[in-house]
Amino acid sequence: MVQLNLALREINCKIVYFGCGLGGKTTNLEVVHQKADQDSRGELTSIATESDRTLFFDFMPLDLGEVSGMKVKFQLYTVPGQVYYNSTRKLVLRGADAVIFIADSQRSKMEENIESLENLAECLVEQGRSLEEMPHVIQYNKRDLEDIYTVDEMNAQLNKFGAPFFEGVASSGEGVTETLKKAAAMLLERVKAMSTESATKPDVKAHRNAAAVRTPMEHRRAKTDQERLQGGLSSHRTTGAQEVVPNSSKTPLGAVSFDTDLRSQSPTAPSPIAPTSTKVSQAVKPSLRQPRSSAPMSSGAPQPMMVVSGGRRAKQRAPFPTVAVLSTFAVCAAGAAAWVFLLS
Amino acid sequence: MGVSPQLIEGMSKMNDTDRLRQNRLVFYREDIEQILVLLRELMTLSGAKCALLIDKEGHLVTREGAANGFDSDSLSALVAGSFAATKEMARLLGEAEFSVMFHQGQRDNIQLTLVGDRTILTVIFDDQTQLGMIRLYTQECVKKLQDVFDRSAGREAPDLELGGDFEDTGRASLDDLFK
Repeated sequence: MVQLNLALREINCKIVYFGCGLGGKTTNLEVVHQKADQDSRGELTSIATESDRTLFFDFMPLDLGEVSGMKVKFQLYTVPGQVYYNSTRKLVLRGADAVIFIADSQRSKMEENIESLENLAECLVEQGRSLEEMPHVIQYNKRDLEDIYTVDEMNAQLNKFGAPFFEGVASSGEGVTETLKKAAAMLLERVKAMSTESATKPDVKAHRNAAAVRTPMEHRRAKTDQERLQGGLSSHRTTGAQEVVPNSSKTPLGAVSFDTDLRSQSPTAPSPIAPTSTKVSQAVKPSLRQPRSSAPMSSGAPQPMMVVSGGRRAKQRAPFPTVAVLSTFAVCAAGAAAWVFLLS
Repeated sequence: MGVSPQLIEGMSKMNDTDRLRQNRLVFYREDIEQILVLLRELMTLSGAKCALLIDKEGHLVTREGAANGFDSDSLSALVAGSFAATKEMARLLGEAEFSVMFHQGQRDNIQLTLVGDRTILTVIFDDQTQLGMIRLYTQECVKKLQDVFDRSAGREAPDLELGGDFEDTGRASLDDLFK
């Protein structure tokens, strides 16, 4: 679905290349990547099998630049064409704003084309949409091969909704940009149509409802974490520092590391998670807790210095209770020795 | 009384446009500012390197922290894809959704946490901090982000002014893109 970022004045849209296996979807995207202005295109990312067949999707961001005061960005995806990857295709198609259907013009491929088109329509219906309403363009690819259907024959079989169509030879780049430009233009028309009325709010109820959906494991974790936060300070303060796992990157899912953090907090700190708990530990150099690079995207104020101790450095500190116990023990031992000496 | 095919087509298009208008995700300036404050706080408290808020369609909403050479757009698309695939795995296992994902690397790690139904909080961190810290502060951040979205629900929506030449300028820009 179109994303409007009014803070950045951006419109983000998703265009998906759909079609049967080996029809030329990835080749289309590769050509777009080659031909697009270098400053406007992003990386072409492919999740493919060993044999270079699309496994999940190919992806490429394309920046159209500023249009009437809004930066327009397209995200171009291809789906895996093979029948086997139907569930993956549905995932990629989800949230698409426009579709480019790549049809293989070879006579032997017509059945696969029809099957793929039906699959596209089914996937859209499952998402509460329809191909008829979706901005879509058809490209009749591989026009350079022999034994191909004529464009009229292809249209009769595949273009039921009178969508714009183009002939293409993706391997040589022919018809590729025209197809994309048409789909993008149709999408811009749709965006414009959406903007004619006041922007409505996002479905934040969905946010709220979904937040309540948790797996049983998440419930347990949340409960455990809450209990740790509520009653953790006193109990964890007395825990030995040897529980700290030295190499954090090897730490399995668990809470050992924040136990350490709680231990290092001042007993008077109201909560370790409160933004105001800026208790600074002298045991840690502030610079060690800062991100390695300081080039944030936002131009906000400098980040407040907030340092907590943790990990290996916490191990270097002698925990207060341990020192007290040892001191008491030493005093008692000295007293006892003095009494023994006096009595003897 | 019959209805002309043109009228049916027109109504159909209108319905789809309305549907898109209803479903599109809008982030307002105030929301983004609040989200950035929360991401900054998360990074400071947890010691993470970078925090990104991404919508489920793979569009980056906003980012705080250093990108360190990675392409945010590509990462956003892959995060959304990864989350979508995981959701299907959850469905096969009879779960509604896995709300947290964690990937461990040699140097950098990444944690993905669902915020509501349509956005994913992505936190990138290295061995300067620990997973527990990330998990703890991310959970808090997710709750606060949720509050931001909830507050946003009651706000008056501004008009989106695209100008009369939006489509023409767009077509011209498309031509420029493939000169």
